[in-house]
Amino acid sequence: MELGKVKDKTLGVRLVYRAKNIDLKKRLPFFLAAVVGFFVFSGGIMSGKEEFKSHRQEDTLGIEELKSLLPEEVASWKALAEDEVYDRETIFDYIDGAGEVYRAYNFRRVLARRFEQPGKPALVADLFDMGSSADAFGVFTHDREGEKLDLGQMAVYKGGLLSFWKDRFFVSVYAEEETPETRKAVLELGRLIDSRIKNKGPLPELVSFLPEEGLIQDEVRYFRSHHILNYHFFVSDEDLLGLGPETEAVLAKYWRGSKKPVFLLVVRHAESCLTEAAWKKFNQVYLPESKGSGQLKTEDGTWTVGQIQGRVLMIVFQASTKEEAEELIEKVRRKIKAE
Amino acid sequence: MGRKPITRRDFLKAAAGLPVAGAILPALTKAASSGQPVPGTELKKAKVVLIRDKDVLDDIGHIRYEVIERMMDQAVCTLTGASSPVEAWRQLIKADDTVGIKSNVWSYLPTPKELEEYLKRRVMDCGVPEDRIGISDRGVLKHPIFQKATALINARPGRTHHWSGMGTCIKNYIMFVPRPAEWHSDSCADLAKIWFLPEVKGKTRLNILVMLTPLFHGIGPHHFSKQYTWPYCGLVVSQDPVAADATGLRILQAKRKEYFGEERPLQPTPHHIFLAETRHGLGMASPEKIELIKLGWQEGILV
Repeated sequence: MELGKVKDKTLGVRLVYRAKNIDLKKRLPFFLAAVVGFFVFSGGIMSGKEEFKSHRQEDTLGIEELKSLLPEEVASWKALAEDEVYDRETIFDYIDGAGEVYRAYNFRRVLARRFEQPGKPALVADLFDMGSSADAFGVFTHDREGEKLDLGQMAVYKGGLLSFWKDRFFVSVYAEEETPETRKAVLELGRLIDSRIKNKGPLPELVSFLPEEGLIQDEVRYFRSHHILNYHFFVSDEDLLGLGPETEAVLAKYWRGSKKPVFLLVVRHAESCLTEAAWKKFNQVYLPESKGSGQLKTEDGTWTVGQIQGRVLMIVFQASTKEEAEELIEKVRRKIKAE
Repeated sequence: MGRKPITRRDFLKAAAGLPVAGAILPALTKAASSGQPVPGTELKKAKVVLIRDKDVLDDIGHIRYEVIERMMDQAVCTLTGASSPVEAWRQLIKADDTVGIKSNVWSYLPTPKELEEYLKRRVMDCGVPEDRIGISDRGVLKHPIFQKATALINARPGRTHHWSGMGTCIKNYIMFVPRPAEWHSDSCADLAKIWFLPEVKGKTRLNILVMLTPLFHGIGPHHFSKQYTWPYCGLVVSQDPVAADATGLRILQAKRKEYFGEERPLQPTPHHIFLAETRHGLGMASPEKIELIKLGWQEGILV
């Protein structure tokens, strides 16, 4: 497979693609037509279960639409270089390593715009189309470290980097070197982008299932991949829980007065049979001694307790007592709507 | 069914001193790092030279060629026991070799051009003509020199890495596979396998983990902020990539502890380094199996 870059004068961007013997320039009109066609057609497809509605959208926003969300200048910094667009295949050519994070969600593509001013560190804005607000929120929760700001739907700033999510977008704005002047410009650029994204997106319903007492809000993680789960809380090198693009999960951390934090994992599958299979596998591999009861005091003296309800699997790790774990699960059960 | 999955409970058992049936744990802890050595590797320690010079960077952070040349010359002489740099290099590279210098082009922290230039000049000092020396990163599979290479030199910056925990000498060879993303599972656990592919097996003569301005903490999509680099002014040089990486890891971890004021393990864990020893037998990761020779500037050396 060849890596290619096509400058599209009409769109004013450089499209980075991976393909063999494909003249993207020639195909672009057909591609855009297909996208428009899908917009029209997709209303009829999105009739599945409500909570999967957003990430079953196959639409990808047009490049013009993405471009319109980024300003041409901020303070005295101007967008001089061509914009670049990367998709799921070419993301590694732009982002080394962390590309996997975006691919672990339903990432569609990213528009990157560089702002320059002679003698000053450059600013870079990356606008990620995550396909749905759930995935935009999810990728934001992957790294929540930093000073919280009132920008977008949630935002943090640290070390010259501003990250926020709004609607189906995850936005990163950073300065190649942090100075008081670049910090001001980064925040201003963020506000400009925020103002151009007109809609807000809903939080994933799964997050609303989390009991609030003792919850550390800034450590809630929403994801679909067991790699992301393991990044935040290692469970197993093999996916025991049936995670994937059609599954959603939330990991929450609670301080409840004991020495260790308690972790609550809530997973929702597309079908209840998948939940049952995941629960069975988790019991067999992780809690074989529990003989299917889903309750066990593990080697560190804490309790791991799980239950399923319909399509939802709930597991508490590191509870100081069995009762503490059961109480947390019971609170989740009460919040789950009857399915 | 394949091997038994490794779970969190295996780590809890290991921490509690209980037997872990059948599982070979990634050596993430001191306890795990004292696992069984690979047969045949028990007797010989891996030699690693850590050399530092605070003058390698000028006032605005640019690299001084003459200093990096001096550092590298001293490092290879120490590694090989040779009395002169050319003699040392001639122990590593033969005149009839075709040499690929595997660099790293990551824009925020690439392999320094000054180091690439030094390596090319010393390879030429071994009698290798310029047209049999190639320098590349992402294009190695299609590079005519790399396709014919009989010797490889591996040079890359040491840094934290969002997916594998650490950007390592081991990981630098991921460009020798056509689809690198296929090696990303379990935080790139089995990267060392790449070193046994025909394109690279047995060809690597030297590994250089560049620790001039290492990145000890990554943020954001690009996993970079200059705020989390520091002028360590070091090079880690070894014929064993695993030993070089394990040494670099110790430096990064020590810097994180110093900066954050607490133990802040790399996330995700760079267990591919330890699995390179325990699962793949590529080299030595455990400190007790590494002979670390420290040269030059000692202040703030961290290991």
